[in-house]
Amino acid sequence: MAAAAAASIRERQTVALKRMLNFNVPHVKNSTGEPVWKVLIYDRFGQDIISPLLSVKELRDMGITLHLLLHSDRDPIPDVPAVYFVMPTEENIDRMCQDLRNQLYESYYLNFISAISRSKLEDIANAALAASAVTQVAKVFDQYLNFITLEDDMFVLCNQNKELVSYRAINRPDITDTEMETVMDTIVDSLFCFFVTLGAVPIIRCSRGTAAEMVAVKLDKKLRENLRDARNSLFTGDTLGAGQFSFQRPLLVLVDRNIDLATPLHHTWTYQALVHDVLDFHLNRVNLEESSGVENSPAGARPKRKNKKSYDLTPVDKFWQKHKGSPFPEVAESVQQELESYRAQEDEVKRLKSIMGLEGEDEGAISMLSDNTAKLTSAVSSLPELLEKKRLIDLHTNVATAVLEHIKARKLDVYFEYEEKIMSKTTLDKSLLDIISDPDAGTPEDKMRLFLIYYISAQQAPSEADLEQYKKALTDAGCNLNPLQYIKQWKAFAKMASAPASYGNTTTKPMGLLSRVMNTGSQFVMEGVKNLVLKQQNLPVTRILDNLMEMKSNPETDDYRYFDPKMLRGNDSSVPRNKNPFQEAIVFVVGGGNYIEYQNLVDYIKGKQGKHILYGCSELFNATQFIKQVKCTLLVS
Amino acid sequence: MAVDITLLFRASVKTVKTRNKALGVAVGGGVDGSRDELFRRSPRPKGDFSSRAREVISHIGKLRDFLLEHRKDYINAYSYVMSEYGRMTDTERDQIDQDAQTFMRTCSEAIQQLRTQAHKEIHSQQVKEHRGVVLDFIEDYLKRVCKLYSEQRAIRVKRVVDKKRLSKLEPEPSTKTRESTSSEKVSRNPSEDSEEKPVTEEHPEKVPAESQPELGTWGDGKGDDELSPEEIQMFEQENQRLIGEMNSLFDEVRQIEGRVVEISRLQEIFTEKVLQQEAEIDSIHQLVVGATENIKEGNEDIREVSTLGPPGPPQCGTESRQQRSSCWQGGTSALLWPSPQGSPPDGAGQSHFDPRQTPDPRCYQEP
Repeated sequence: MAAAAAASIRERQTVALKRMLNFNVPHVKNSTGEPVWKVLIYDRFGQDIISPLLSVKELRDMGITLHLLLHSDRDPIPDVPAVYFVMPTEENIDRMCQDLRNQLYESYYLNFISAISRSKLEDIANAALAASAVTQVAKVFDQYLNFITLEDDMFVLCNQNKELVSYRAINRPDITDTEMETVMDTIVDSLFCFFVTLGAVPIIRCSRGTAAEMVAVKLDKKLRENLRDARNSLFTGDTLGAGQFSFQRPLLVLVDRNIDLATPLHHTWTYQALVHDVLDFHLNRVNLEESSGVENSPAGARPKRKNKKSYDLTPVDKFWQKHKGSPFPEVAESVQQELESYRAQEDEVKRLKSIMGLEGEDEGAISMLSDNTAKLTSAVSSLPELLEKKRLIDLHTNVATAVLEHIKARKLDVYFEYEEKIMSKTTLDKSLLDIISDPDAGTPEDKMRLFLIYYISAQQAPSEADLEQYKKALTDAGCNLNPLQYIKQWKAFAKMASAPASYGNTTTKPMGLLSRVMNTGSQFVMEGVKNLVLKQQNLPVTRILDNLMEMKSNPETDDYRYFDPKMLRGNDSSVPRNKNPFQEAIVFVVGGGNYIEYQNLVDYIKGKQGKHILYGCSELFNATQFIKQVKCTLLVS
Repeated sequence: MAVDITLLFRASVKTVKTRNKALGVAVGGGVDGSRDELFRRSPRPKGDFSSRAREVISHIGKLRDFLLEHRKDYINAYSYVMSEYGRMTDTERDQIDQDAQTFMRTCSEAIQQLRTQAHKEIHSQQVKEHRGVVLDFIEDYLKRVCKLYSEQRAIRVKRVVDKKRLSKLEPEPSTKTRESTSSEKVSRNPSEDSEEKPVTEEHPEKVPAESQPELGTWGDGKGDDELSPEEIQMFEQENQRLIGEMNSLFDEVRQIEGRVVEISRLQEIFTEKVLQQEAEIDSIHQLVVGATENIKEGNEDIREVSTLGPPGPPQCGTESRQQRSSCWQGGTSALLWPSPQGSPPDGAGQSHFDPRQTPDPRCYQEP
């Protein structure tokens, strides 16, 4: 079935990694198999790819005793095969040759994250010869895994060298052609690896005149070349594996960040997006700083230390999977509910304990044992589950509390509501100037974000006098006005290129200040925080996808270019040959994306049966990081 | 999909070789090179550790193969329809059990030895960690193989229990009183001595046959009196009552068996957990003992300082304290004698002045 074939990209990458770790042989679980052990060596790229997918325990299960960074001091460990997972860069190759010369391990399984060039391969061959270690190099593979999967249906290109492919890198005014070429090549290489892993050749559509178009042209060329090369094609049937081909080809929509600059600045209300916006969250790991409790430290004692805690938000965490897209009040309630049900189960176990205690004194209480042994067995065997549940509840309580603190301190709910109203062009009940001049609502950055969104979505630019007023208010509040300059430029450019993006109609209904959460006296005291309910709206990216996927006609997307790498002759027309709606689509944002867009796409596709969307971007940033980039972009020019 | 470029690599090696030859660069290439490789590899220290680790693994592998090989016989030979003794006698099974157990014990000892040795040897942190994890893998392997064994054993034990149950209680509620009581007696005897002989089936058949003549003799012994209808009824009722009792006993025994099995499972879980926690509990014990010692010393220090009154001009701190404390010790030693417990002062200066009270069991032991 086509839907089953859209197997999660996370699964595919995990399977590929496991195969690689199993000496490039498909992994079969065998309960009485002999243990084999090996050492895993990776560079930082490899680390970023592996860490969201495999935990240390899973690595151990695959027989990995040690996992080390390539460029660290490594001691020789004889009689151990070593699996390398690195990018084929000069430094990495040099270090590998050094390892060969120093004879650190018994045998070497070299895996390159993206394809290695012939000349570099010869360098390794040279070193191997010099060290008389040619037979020790057991296998060499090109893995084509040069992308990072964060969710079942979301991926980013890279984490280590994001500055290379950042928004700023692509959009700065002083970029030279060669630099642009390099950036595009990096992006295309990763996208190519992505499609090799996915096992499908997409139909590509992109807007004209943007960086996305450049990427599309190059990607099309690369795919085409690979398909033509019958001997080495990566997309032939047998390499796809059994039962993994879909009847329909997926659609790849390449969009540029510049079509929608409001979304990266937007304040948000869903759990995952909030965590990304407000806390330190990347590669599925959130780092919290906790102050170590209320202690009256006597004079002269050490100052209070802040504990840093980090949590991994993984697919195993059922609560996270269920609620990462829910509005925050719902999350708070659910944590409460989970806590209550956990306490009930705990009490059940404790009750059994007391019954058992009684039984020892009362000889005639055999009847009490009636089915208590069975209960006890089930209680004992369910203890590990219970402990795991507790751990997750603690985790989410801490994370949600941290988020809540930010919301309360910065009045993020007010900002969110206001921005939603701005973006949907409903009437505003409070004037923008009031919010900006209000000293307790939000950091200067929040105010800047709000103002920029206002500026971006305004149909006509505000008058000079108004603008001056706003500028003064902003400066009083402590904002740096550089981003405004950039947005002005962008808006002028965008107006020339196409009609400004509109955000559709939406309303947010405040559900009143009293909520069930408050009534149950939970620790998530959300007084003063509005319990806002999100109504589904389509962000520009979602709208574009909708048009292209359902083959709707719309002036915005009608002149998008159309590429089909499988067709014999390069087709430059915009007329799609395929008239049927697509079942699978991949949206890729060149220049950076964020969780708000991702969540919007997920919500959009939930309503459609049997359709799947994957979301990718060249880098993932939250509003703070985006503003920083925009500030710098201006300074350079 | 990953692409295997090993062949490409080998081709590159050849290319480089020929290129180097052409350039006249001296490299360890060619036929000599491969021999060189071999020579160079053999004197390399073949890790003692890894060869022994592999030995242990191969031993465990042998055990596993042995268990799997005989597993069918071990389990299957229980069917009654086979020849009298089946293919494996119980003694043979016991033998297997014992052998397997000793084997497992020696394997785990070997693993322990390797571990201690690995700790003692001086190696880098990475090598130590690596070896630790390797040993963990081997232990895990041993555990899995032991599971095989314990599963087999559990099946065997279960069968024995089942058989005992069958041979003890006759599920024939329709027999008359005398039959049931006599059959009970009769069946109880044979069940005690027939452990594994698959002859219990014959007993139920024998029993009614035996009891028939008995019944006949009984009936004859009673004389010619016809049993009056009341007596018949009475006996009938008694029959029913006894049958009911037997059935309920039977049910209860079944339940108890079920619970015993569960309890054994629980016990298994508990022993595992306790063993796991043993090391931690030991370390906690150590820490607590250390902590009490520290607290004792701390209290003493505080006591010394507090009884000294306001401190004079600051001097070399510790020395003056020591001087003062020795005075104090001398001065108050007289006070220590007339303690109500009559206990002689011990070296640590413990007396009822001691602010630290209870955690010391010695206080209670001296009445």
